Amino acid sequence: MSGAHDQRGEDGRPANPTRRRLLGAAGSLTVMFALGPAWPQQGGQSSQSAGQGGASESGVDGAAAGGDKSGKLPGSLDKEPWLDAWIRIDADNTITVFTGKAELGQGIKTALLQVAAEELQVMPGRLTLVTADTARTPDEGYTAGSHSMQDSGTALRYAAAQVRSVLLGLAAQRFTVDPASLKLDQGVIHTADGRRATYGELLVGHDLHLRADGKSAPRDPASHTIAGKNLARIDIPAKVSGGVAYVQDLRLPRMVHARVVRPPTPGAQLQGVDTAAVEKLPGVLKVVVDGRFLAVIADGEYRAIKASTALARAARWTTPATLPAAAARMGDAAALVRSLPSQDSTIYDGPGANAAVSKTLRAAYSRPFQLHGSIGPSCAVAQLVDGRYTIWTHSQGVYPLRDALAELLGAGKDAIHCIHTEGSGCYGHNAADDVAADAALLARAYPGRPVRVQWMREDEHAWEPFGSPMVTSVQASLDAGGRIVDWQYHVWSPPHNTRPGKAGNLLAATHLAKPFTPPPAKPAPQPEGAGDRNGIPYYILQGPVKSGHIVSHFQPDAPLRTSALRSLGAYGNVFSIESFMDELAHASSQDPVAFRLAHLHDPRALEVVRSAAQRFGWDGWRRPSGPGLQRGRGFAFARYKNLAAYCAMAVEVELARETGLVRIVRASVAVDCGEIVNPDGVRNQIEGGVIQSASWTLLEKVRFDDKQILSRDWAGYPILRFNQVPRTLDVHLIDRPGQPFLGTGEASQGPTAAAIANAVFDACGLRLRDLPLDRARMRDGH
Amino acid sequence: MDHEPRPPHDHRRHGAHRLRWVVLAALTLLALAGCAIMWRPALAPQPPQQARAAAQAFDAATVERGRQLAALGSCAACHTVDPARPYAGGLALATPFGTVYSTNITPDARTGIGAWSEQAFARALREGVSRDGHLLYPAFPYDYYTHMQAEDVHALYAYLMTRPALDAPAHRNSLKFPFGFRPLVAFWNVLYLKKNDAWAPDVRQSAEWNRGAYLATAVAHCGACHTPRTKLGGTDFKRYLDGGEAEGWYVPALNQLSPSPLPWTTEQLASYLRTGIATDHAAAGGPMQSVVENLRFADPRDVAALATWTHSYLEKAPHDAPRARTADDLPAPGANEADALVREGHAVYQNACARCHALGRTESSGAALPLQKAVALYDPDPRSLIHIVRDGIEPPDGEPARWMPAFGAILTDRQTAALAAYLRRYGAGKQPWDHIEDSVRKAKQP
Amino acid sequence: MTTFNLRVNGKPHAVDTDPETPLLYVLRDDLQMNGAKFGCGLGQCGACTVMLDDAAVMSCLVPVSVVGARAVRTVEGIGTADAPGLLQRAFIEEQAAQCGYCIAGMIMRATELLEHTAAPTDDQIRAHMMPNLCRCGTHMRILRAVRRAADTMHAGPGAKA
Repeated sequence: MSGAHDQRGEDGRPANPTRRRLLGAAGSLTVMFALGPAWPQQGGQSSQSAGQGGASESGVDGAAAGGDKSGKLPGSLDKEPWLDAWIRIDADNTITVFTGKAELGQGIKTALLQVAAEELQVMPGRLTLVTADTARTPDEGYTAGSHSMQDSGTALRYAAAQVRSVLLGLAAQRFTVDPASLKLDQGVIHTADGRRATYGELLVGHDLHLRADGKSAPRDPASHTIAGKNLARIDIPAKVSGGVAYVQDLRLPRMVHARVVRPPTPGAQLQGVDTAAVEKLPGVLKVVVDGRFLAVIADGEYRAIKASTALARAARWTTPATLPAAAARMGDAAALVRSLPSQDSTIYDGPGANAAVSKTLRAAYSRPFQLHGSIGPSCAVAQLVDGRYTIWTHSQGVYPLRDALAELLGAGKDAIHCIHTEGSGCYGHNAADDVAADAALLARAYPGRPVRVQWMREDEHAWEPFGSPMVTSVQASLDAGGRIVDWQYHVWSPPHNTRPGKAGNLLAATHLAKPFTPPPAKPAPQPEGAGDRNGIPYYILQGPVKSGHIVSHFQPDAPLRTSALRSLGAYGNVFSIESFMDELAHASSQDPVAFRLAHLHDPRALEVVRSAAQRFGWDGWRRPSGPGLQRGRGFAFARYKNLAAYCAMAVEVELARETGLVRIVRASVAVDCGEIVNPDGVRNQIEGGVIQSASWTLLEKVRFDDKQILSRDWAGYPILRFNQVPRTLDVHLIDRPGQPFLGTGEASQGPTAAAIANAVFDACGLRLRDLPLDRARMRDGH
Repeated sequence: MDHEPRPPHDHRRHGAHRLRWVVLAALTLLALAGCAIMWRPALAPQPPQQARAAAQAFDAATVERGRQLAALGSCAACHTVDPARPYAGGLALATPFGTVYSTNITPDARTGIGAWSEQAFARALREGVSRDGHLLYPAFPYDYYTHMQAEDVHALYAYLMTRPALDAPAHRNSLKFPFGFRPLVAFWNVLYLKKNDAWAPDVRQSAEWNRGAYLATAVAHCGACHTPRTKLGGTDFKRYLDGGEAEGWYVPALNQLSPSPLPWTTEQLASYLRTGIATDHAAAGGPMQSVVENLRFADPRDVAALATWTHSYLEKAPHDAPRARTADDLPAPGANEADALVREGHAVYQNACARCHALGRTESSGAALPLQKAVALYDPDPRSLIHIVRDGIEPPDGEPARWMPAFGAILTDRQTAALAAYLRRYGAGKQPWDHIEDSVRKAKQP
Repeated sequence: MTTFNLRVNGKPHAVDTDPETPLLYVLRDDLQMNGAKFGCGLGQCGACTVMLDDAAVMSCLVPVSVVGARAVRTVEGIGTADAPGLLQRAFIEEQAAQCGYCIAGMIMRATELLEHTAAPTDDQIRAHMMPNLCRCGTHMRILRAVRRAADTMHAGPGAKA
């Protein structure tokens, strides 16, 4: 059963010296795996669209088995079908599991371990998980789009199931017994009569370099003892006790520290910089000036900071106004969006309405530029030794990053090794790739020693790729019975994905003396979409509404860089659609929940809506009378991307128009994400999404004028603090064992925004359609 | 002398007896006068339906005018503690006489002013008498509001009575003996309350100045903090705008005694009053911060008028600190600087403050004031500087604004005193503050 | 460069560095401690929170030269992954972390509360934690963890955490 395709040296180890070094000098005979392209090259296709990294396998029909009719393998196995790319079992019975996904704080490491452990029938603690590493793991594109469980979890489930089946086959052969009589227990296979062999022993003389076939059935969910249970996250104990946990904590021998001095404004031009004095500062090792890319490398972190301040003072810039004056003067993102040219595509075209129209309503909504606002500004470490770069990065896509860096540095892809190392929550395409590029450039300028680059808070606030602004317009018609008979929708938005792929997607690359140009951004096709994600209401796709026309206006050029922020366009589209649903219900005197139920066919959608309403106490709710602040309730529902997790929620808010402060009193959320591997992890993600979205909705917008970004720190860009979080946040999970995993991490962003806006309307009659519903807007009433 | 036997009540005893009666009569009269001074009748409470009907009768323009007046008067500065519960009261105000808590002025019938007729409201504003007749402590500056014009009182009433009613019972005050006995306030009022003394314009001044003067005197009550108080806690109008104190801070003079190192233009003043910042000039901290947080909601023309009025006093000050015109880094103490405290303070400044307050910080994240321009360094009293260093400046919840961190837990008392001494000498170039370490210690007491 | 003698988690350390260096960088770079984190360097987010004597401070704002003889306590001094202290146990039990970057700072902020207030109410916990930001939205769990630790403390030494 040895594979014919791998390249081995005489000692049986991989021939590639880099990989050999990285795999370590362990004495055990390890099973090889081929990194050569045994699957079709992904190349640049995944760079344009967030949420790539594998065909989404979840279908509306809820197919549970693997190997679907199209002949595709389950999850990421389709791109990486060799079992040993996913699972390695050493002769000493050490089991290593590989995933191309990265831990972003969403608990994916723990969940994937559970999946593999369940199929291999060992305790999760016995497994070692290796995440996104261009030298060691499969290429699963980006950890994004809530695809991790769908892609990687599914792949691991089927790969591990097949490995189990292989092991049972080997044991049956060795012991000449019926495989059905064998028992698996913690890495050991036992016969009925007491003979035994470990997995590692069974594999001696064999290996796992086998193609996945998707045919081995995973274990019956009813018998699960590990997956589907709450397993304590493996990373938390170190994080609460000061253990090494983040790329920011990396300390490599002889590491040096660097800071980049960015232009003061996006359009700034460097007139000159006097580096002589900076070079003489204590600890400074090198000052780098390459076009508009200025940086200083020093032997200590605070020295690097001080030197960078001096370098900033020593630089002279012109700062012309480069942002559209009229819009920028008011910091009005919606006006800016309205002024940009667009490429239009119809994403839904239904038959004309033939029912009698009783009422037609129209409304327009908007969303500003918003920040990822990672609490730990982005950081990377890079080292150049013997022509080979190693980069420790919290990028969501180490393979695409590697490709972009190869182009940037003029190096071969195999000269660049990107290792995912956890950062703070990124929530999409933040500055992780940019800082990796900074570090790589500085490693090239100062080869030999590891160079650590840490962005400052002001850098992150001014230069991270922003969440893209959106303008939407809706028009819908109701019949005499209060049913929607026509739906017209438009969404305008700059790109929601400018991830690397290409060097031009890296900030520093665009500042060099010989700059790279950002490649033209492209829209992503439905059903996932980008700016138009969730642009088609579920009430059309799985509901009675058929007549309508929906157009996505993709705006390829925006004066400020924008990219993927958790849920992409779904946040703005669901905000618009679900706010408008309430406007329609109100105009026809219908209860908002009943109105939605009347427009949904999918039983799973109906169930989450009913569950959220019931747990909130929607039907019996009475507005508190007597003294007190204005209180209101609001509801919203969406199925993320119309094919991932279902999320419905009801919120109660309390507000004071005087001061503009809105508080969420309580929220009830119901979620259906298919089969649940780690319930607590799902719950954590949903809670977090609700609170983060509440922060976006109530507080957040990037402020700018015609020259520059004005919101440079938390004082200028406030986010939710403890005084505004709800008293209670109830999350109810509907478990569907056997159903495909559905992406959940982004499912609550959109519904939260609309539920809050609807509750505000209910409380005080103010229908706000422009985000955020911040204190100034609440006071002013518009 | 008479040799006849005296009658049973002799002259002396008769005189003494009469004297006793006179004294008793006088005392009674005094007591009656006192009671007359101290006693106020209760005014009938307004039934809730009537209150609600009245509330609906106010037109939008009047309510809006009332909102602006409330902003100008900074009512929320004392009456709103939690931004989610506006005007519900509960702020603890430390006074030399003890701690007074602000009350609920929402139209709640039971715990607020919901049962107050407009007459009762006007009486409270002008005379410091609550609806039920008890006297209010002059921590509520009715001695200023008494000058308000009738239509402004009406507008304020309209505004307050149309706010959400909140249930928030009054806190118990804790006043030093005998100030807990409210009727004594009547005597204070005799001395300091010039009621029914309507403010009159000064015909020599512009309309805008007069507008500002009216607002400052009757509504914004600037003099209440910016003027010294007498021993009994009344405004000492003989030293109008000479400076005062509030909540443990020193409040600078606004007239020729102004310690501001730089002259002000009216535009700078208006900007400062509306936003809390005059760029490269000053930043509002402490009690002034809550004032500017209210003034930002007032009509900008009214704020401009306040600025014009203030400017007329402020321009009389010499403003003669040439070093304040530059933005140079503060100098290090010379080799002959004998004061060890000042040397220590320089180190504290260099290591804790210079990062933001010298040019060493990129302008992009909000410039911090070069300290030679900071008024607090030039005050005759170090309390404001001490408070700014200890407490910092924070934006209102959830709103973008300037931010200076609080160093109260970071610097020891000695380090704070050293910093103050250094800044006084090498920032302002002034004579040292006396007993700076004592001042730091005292500033920590609430 | 000057030598500073610091007391961190009860142990003496001699550090040679510039007097201006914020304590945050001394802890991370000179003492190789990971608990206190760089979040903003401006005192606005609390990721760097440590205890200085009996007060929680933002270590990014504390120049090492003002520390003097005062006791510095970081999350490492509360306990280890194998032997977690009270608050750490509470955070682990509540799984009160998503990315986890803010959590060490949260634990130190909560330490100040529990050392000063015997039986804090929920509102007091909420108000006390205000200076610390969490971007992932883990607030509910953080509040529950602090509540749990407070209740355990209040219940006395015999109570199970």
